[in-house]
Amino acid sequence: MSCEYVERDLDAYLDRELDAAATTAARVHLSECAACRRRVAERETLSRLVRSAPYYSAPDRLRMRVLAQTTRPRSARRILTWAAAAALFISVGTGISLWRSASTRGDALAQAVVDSHVRSMMANHLFDVASTDQHTVKPWFLGKLDFAPPVVDLASIGFPLVGGRLDYLGGRPVAALVYERRKHTINVFVSPRPDDAFARAYVQSVRGFHVHHWIRDGMSLWAVSDLNDSELTQFCQALEAS
Amino acid sequence: MPTRAFEHTVLPHLDAAFNYARWLTRNDADAEDVVQDACVRAMRFFSSLRDDDPRPWLFAIVRNTWYSRVSRRASTEATPLVIAHHDEADDALDPEERLLQQHAVAVVRTALEQLPVDFREVLVLREFEGLTYKEIAAIVGVPLGTVMSRLARARDRLMAVLKLTVPMEIVR
Repeated sequence: MSCEYVERDLDAYLDRELDAAATTAARVHLSECAACRRRVAERETLSRLVRSAPYYSAPDRLRMRVLAQTTRPRSARRILTWAAAAALFISVGTGISLWRSASTRGDALAQAVVDSHVRSMMANHLFDVASTDQHTVKPWFLGKLDFAPPVVDLASIGFPLVGGRLDYLGGRPVAALVYERRKHTINVFVSPRPDDAFARAYVQSVRGFHVHHWIRDGMSLWAVSDLNDSELTQFCQALEAS
Repeated sequence: MPTRAFEHTVLPHLDAAFNYARWLTRNDADAEDVVQDACVRAMRFFSSLRDDDPRPWLFAIVRNTWYSRVSRRASTEATPLVIAHHDEADDALDPEERLLQQHAVAVVRTALEQLPVDFREVLVLREFEGLTYKEIAAIVGVPLGTVMSRLARARDRLMAVLKLTVPMEIVR
């Protein structure tokens, strides 16, 4: 394959948007061509530079303004309409939820995982122990939980560990490990005794967050983030392989 | 209750919406107004979301809100490319470190802000949010091929502005 082909597809290759055949062809060419390897290295450095630019968080006053607008009090008449609708919704909903409960046990847990993730970000309570050192974070859990969560730093592949905290999931205390990718937070929830009804690997998208679940050494792990799915998958694979 | 569902589904992505709006408008006050208007629209059209991923959906609403404000004001987007000179690099660092140090955050931010908005937004959606070409195409309302070429041109321009060249020694 010629250089101009790689040049044309360079961005798609780096963004992992090429199909498998084209990716393989690009790799073969890169293994033989130093000039194209250099182009790839330049683009990768550029990506890192761009990602070092600020990620702007919404100011608190904006959050308050939006909340004030979405929770505006309604007139009594509308409230009555809503109440009637809600009653109907609940009665129908109960039937549906009973019927669905067996098949959606995983969904409910994934929902709870996302709720915990969002809460940890909103309440500004991301860590009980803020440290990038796995040898500080791991012992911190000693005596607080009846199991020892596996704690590894993945900074070498761009997912630094930033801390840990105690959290609750499904009414049980769990270890929450916090990682970062650029400005995106990844929460990893670890608990022993995986739920028998749900002892399988699992990937789902819930309200714009990606949730991965897997079992390792008898422990149940949930990773959740608003990071895009391909990077979260990379993170989970690295965590599994560690 | 739609309000509860809205808060539950959309508000966790307020930071992402604000970041996108901030890069579109390049200032805090306008970005806040855009996001606030966008949330009102999102609330109104919430039923159209169904089970889709709320993030690209919200980005599209933010973009439309911003776009209608910009065209109302008929504001123009012409800024000269002026990049501050960076300090001398430290020779003790390895080549990669030296490169990163040369291009301090402020320089990168300025370079990014001075890109035409068509280029800037695809780069922000790709690099910060990691969206796929398909998702970006849907948000921006252009064909996939256009997303691809805008990204390539945006990066080419940035490379030129930042005078980015990787020393051969780190290309193995």
